[in-house]
Amino acid sequence: MKKFDVLIIGAGSIGVPLAYYCAARSLKVGVLEREASWGRGQNRAAIGGIRATHSDPAKIKICQESLRIAAAFREEHGIDIEWRQGGYLFVAYDEERERSFRDLLAVQKAAGLDIDWIDADRVAELSPGIAREGLRGGTFSPGDGFASPLTTNTAFHRLALEAGAEFLFGETVTGMELAGGKVRRVRTDKEVYEAAVFVNAAGAHAAEIASMAGAEIPVHPDSHEGGVTEPVAPFMQPMLVDIRSDEESGNYYFYQASTGQVVFCITPKPQAWGAETVNTSGFLPLCVRRMLELYPRLRSLKVRRTWRGLYPMTPDGLPLVGYTREADNFLLAAGMCGQGFMIGPGLGRILAQVIAEGAKEYDFIFEELTPYRKFEGMELLK
Amino acid sequence: MRRITQHPIVPPLSGRTEVSFSFDGAEMRGFEGEMIASALFANGITRFSKHAKDGAPQGIFCANGQCSQCTVLVDGIPKKACITALRAGLDLRTMDGLPVLPALDAAPAPAGKRLLSADVLVIGGGPSGLGAASELATQGFSVILADDKAGLGGKLVLQTHKFFGSEEDCYAGTRGIDIAAKLEADLRSRPTVTILANSPVVGLYKDRRAGVFQDYSSYLLVAFKALVVAAGARERSIVFPGNDLPGVYGAGAFQTLVNRDRVRPAGRVLIVGSGNVGLIAAYHALQAGIEVAGIVEILDKVNGYKVHADKIRRMGVPIHLSTTVVSVEGEGRVERATVARVGADFKPLLDTARGYEVDTVLVAAGLSPCDEFYRQARDYGFLAVKAGDAEEIAEASSALFGGRIAAFALAKLLGRKVEVDESWIAKREVLKSKPGDKIPREPVVPGEKWRPVFFCEEEIPCNPCTTVCPSGSIKLRPRRGDLLDLPYFQGDDCRGCTACVAACPGLAISLLRRIDEAWSEVALPYEFEPGFEPGDRRDLLSMDGAFVEAAELLKKTFNRRYKTWILHFKVSSANAAKVIGIRVQDPAAARSLPSPQFSCAAEDAIVCRCERVTFGELVRFIRENKVTDVNQLKAIRAGMGACGSKTCSALYPSVFRAAGVDPASVTLGTLRPLTVEVPMEALVNEPAAVGGPSRGGPA
Repeated sequence: MKKFDVLIIGAGSIGVPLAYYCAARSLKVGVLEREASWGRGQNRAAIGGIRATHSDPAKIKICQESLRIAAAFREEHGIDIEWRQGGYLFVAYDEERERSFRDLLAVQKAAGLDIDWIDADRVAELSPGIAREGLRGGTFSPGDGFASPLTTNTAFHRLALEAGAEFLFGETVTGMELAGGKVRRVRTDKEVYEAAVFVNAAGAHAAEIASMAGAEIPVHPDSHEGGVTEPVAPFMQPMLVDIRSDEESGNYYFYQASTGQVVFCITPKPQAWGAETVNTSGFLPLCVRRMLELYPRLRSLKVRRTWRGLYPMTPDGLPLVGYTREADNFLLAAGMCGQGFMIGPGLGRILAQVIAEGAKEYDFIFEELTPYRKFEGMELLK
Repeated sequence: MRRITQHPIVPPLSGRTEVSFSFDGAEMRGFEGEMIASALFANGITRFSKHAKDGAPQGIFCANGQCSQCTVLVDGIPKKACITALRAGLDLRTMDGLPVLPALDAAPAPAGKRLLSADVLVIGGGPSGLGAASELATQGFSVILADDKAGLGGKLVLQTHKFFGSEEDCYAGTRGIDIAAKLEADLRSRPTVTILANSPVVGLYKDRRAGVFQDYSSYLLVAFKALVVAAGARERSIVFPGNDLPGVYGAGAFQTLVNRDRVRPAGRVLIVGSGNVGLIAAYHALQAGIEVAGIVEILDKVNGYKVHADKIRRMGVPIHLSTTVVSVEGEGRVERATVARVGADFKPLLDTARGYEVDTVLVAAGLSPCDEFYRQARDYGFLAVKAGDAEEIAEASSALFGGRIAAFALAKLLGRKVEVDESWIAKREVLKSKPGDKIPREPVVPGEKWRPVFFCEEEIPCNPCTTVCPSGSIKLRPRRGDLLDLPYFQGDDCRGCTACVAACPGLAISLLRRIDEAWSEVALPYEFEPGFEPGDRRDLLSMDGAFVEAAELLKKTFNRRYKTWILHFKVSSANAAKVIGIRVQDPAAARSLPSPQFSCAAEDAIVCRCERVTFGELVRFIRENKVTDVNQLKAIRAGMGACGSKTCSALYPSVFRAAGVDPASVTLGTLRPLTVEVPMEALVNEPAAVGGPSRGGPA
C-alpha cells in the first residue's frame, strides 16, 4: 500500500498541471493513469486554444489564470510550450450574430475581459484573405491565444516529476473504499492507495470513476474531429470562430500555430454521443468546405493529419468542480466539455492552493461549478 | 543533361515532349510528364530546398512519395518533386523557410462529394495487388484497385534484371518491367475491376470508407466491404552523421531515377547494405554507366543471393563485409563517405576508417512493410487481408502468389465457399524461402562437345535454365525436392545453343568446349553494350571476382528474347571452366582515398527527416522525460512531419534502446488519416484544383 497527500486519477490536461502545482506546494502527490503515459486521453486531441472569453464568471476566472501561466511559461520555467498570443476572433456575417455578440460584450467586459468589437476592415487585417462579402466585424479578445497541448502537458509532467510527484502509468482504478463520509482507499489492478484528498480528473471516464465513490455525475462524452495542415509562413493572427451552423454542422474554428500549421475543428450535427475516437469520412469534406467558404485563401493549404477526441460534456456546458456529498475528500475536476486544456493550468494552480491552504477566495468557483447545481441553460460561447 | 540515352537493357523513352521550365530563375529543359525530381536531377540539381528549421540542404530520399524530403516550390506551392509531373513553364524554386500561402482569394465552388463502391478495395497495384485483384474479379467480386503511381506494377517497373523463380509460375527469366506490363494488361481487360492509378489511398475511416487522392487533384471516397492491403514496402533509413545530405538516398529511389526515369543521378556511388536490393542497385548503376566504389555490409556475410553478389564482384565492385558507414560529408551535397570495420558489438573501429570519394550514398538497409492500413483495418473491425511485402518482405515472384492466395482468404471471409489450390501455397513458400545450403560443384574439364558450367552453388528458388534447355539436359538434382535444388547438366546432349547462358538471372552459366589441347572456347553472358570486337582482349574473372586471365573475344551474338549478349572467348583450357565474368569497372573507381577525413558525431545523425530531429535529441528527451510512448516524441516534433512518421518510426526501437528503454515496452503511436497531404481545394473537389498548381497567380 502506498500513501499520498493527494492522489489524482487521470494524467491528462487537468491532472498533470494539478500534480505539478500540488507537488510544488510540497504535497506528496501520486497520479494514477491507465494509459502508458501522460496526455494519452483527450489532451492529445485538444487543438490548443486558451481563452478567457467565456460567458461564465468562474470559467473566465480560471482561464485568465491559465492565460497568465501560459504567457509566462517560457520565462518562468525555461520551456517553450509554443504559446502564441493571437487572440480570439468571433466573426459576424449577419445582423443577428452582431447583435448577440454586442450584447454579450457587456457581460464579458463586466467580468474584466479585454474584448471589444472590431469592424470588417480590422477583421480582414488580422486574417488576410477572409471572405469580405457580408462580413460585419466581430468580437476580438487580444489576450487569448494558443499553445501546444502536448508540449504543455509534457512540460507540466516534467515539472511535476522534478517537484517530486509520482506518476503511476498503466494502472487502472478498480474500486474505492468509503467510510465515514470519506474515500479511504483506491484500489487499482496493481496496488492499493491511501490519500488525504482524491481528485477525479479522469476526463471522459470521470463518471465511471465517480460511480466507484458512489457519486452519479452527469458527464457524457461526445466526439469531435480535428485536423492540422502543413506549416506555412505566418499569415493569420487570431483563432477564428464562426458560430454559424448549417444543415451538417455547428460552429467551427481554426488558428495558425506558432509552428505555422493551421489547426481546425468543427462541431458535428447531430452531436456524436459516445466514446468513439476513430475518424469518420465525413469530417474533412465538411470542415474544409466550411473553412473555405469563410477563408478562400486556405484553398492551396494541405491537410496533414486528422484525429478524433472526446468532449466530456455536462448538461450546461460548464465543468464540475467540487467535493461530492458522498465523500468530502473526493474532489471532482471533471466535465470540462472539451476545454480541459485551457482550463487545466489555471484550475490546477487554484485547486492546489485550495487543497494546501483551504483558500476561501475561490469559493465562488466551487459554488458556481458545484456538481449539485440545476444545470439550466447552456454556456453561450461553448 | 544527365540523361541515360544508351542502356543495354531498357529501350530509350520515346515520344516525350521536351519543355522548358525554370529553377530559381534559371532556364532548364525537361520532358513533359516526367517527375520534377527527375527533371531537376537531369539538370544537375540535387538540392531542392533548405529546411525551415536550420536551412539544411534537402534532396531526395525515397523518390517514392513516402517521405517529403524532396519538397520544392512549384509555382509557389510546396510539392513533393518525386510525384509531381513536370509541365511546360513551371516556375520551380528552392523552398527556403516556410512557404508563403498564395493569395488565391476567389470564392471556392466545391463540386461536392464523390463516392464509389465495390466489394473489395485493393490498396496497391504491385505484383501482389494485381494478383489479388485479378483473382477476386475471377471469383465475381467487384474490385477497385488504387495505386499511388501512374503505371501499375509497383516496383516491378524498376526491375530491369531477369527474375529468379520458376518460369512456368512466375515469369522467371523475364525482366520485371515486362512482367508488369503483362499483369496490367490482364487486369485492364476485366470489366468488374476499376483501376484508380496515380491515386494514393490517404485514409481509412470508421464508416468503412477509404479516402483516395485521385490523380493527386481531387478527393474520392470509396465504400467497401473488405480490403486487400498490398501497399508494398518502404526503404528503411539508417543512422549515421550526414544521412540527411543531398546525395544520400534509398537504393530504390536510385532505381526509380535510373531505370524508370532514365536519369543518371550520380557519378560514383557507395552502397550501404548487401541485400538483394543493394546488390541489384550496384548492377543497375554499372548498366547506367555509374561507378560503384563498393558495397559495405555490417554483417560478416552477404545478405542477398550469392549469385547476385558474385556477379557484382566480378564486374569489379568490392563488397566490404563487417564494415559500416561512419560518416558522410560534403558542402551542401555528398562529397565523400567514410567507412570502417566493426567489432563484435557492431561498433565501428575508427582506426580502420577508409574514405571514398563519392557523390552519392545509396541506403539499402532493408525494407519495412507498408502495413499501416491493415493494422488500422483490423483495429476498426474491417474484413481485411494483407499480401506481398505488406505481409512479409520477399521477392516479387512470391508476391504474385501471395496476392492470389490472399484473394482466396478474403473470399472466405466474405462468405464464399472456396478453397485455395494448396500447390500455390507451397509455391509461395518456396519462392519466398531464404537461400538454403551452399554446395560446391565438381570441377569441369573441357571436352570435345559443348557443355554448361554452373557457377551457382547456393540453393535459391530458381529454374529457368532447366526449362529453356532444348534437349532437357539440365535438371534440378533432388536434394531437397523443391525449387531450391541446384541445376546440373545431366546426359551429354548439349547443342551449344547458349539458351541457358542467356536465361540465367544470375549470369552464372557458361558453355565451353575444347578447341585444342591448349585452348578452349567459352561462351559468357554479358548485359552491357560490348564496346569491343572480335580480336580484342578482355579481363576474365572467376566466380567471386578474382582475375583469371585476359582472353581474346572470338565472336559476339545477341539473344533478343533475354536481351543478353553472348560473348565467346578463347581461354586457356586450364582456366576455361573457371571464368564466368568480364570486368566492367575500372579498379580505380573502388580505390579509397589516401587518408580518411571525417568528424564522427553519431548523435547528430537525423532520425526524423521531416522535422530534422537528431538521434541525440531523441535519446536525451527520452531519458529526461522518462518516455515510454512514441506519441510523446512529438513534443520535440519527431514524427510530426508531412510523411506521417513513415520513415522515422522504423528507427525508434534503436533510439529507445540507446536511451536505456526496452523497445518492447514502448507504446506505439496511433495511426490516423491522412497518410499523404491533400490540399483543401482537392478535398472539396474544387474544379480548379484539377490540373494542378500552375493555375492563377496572386489574385
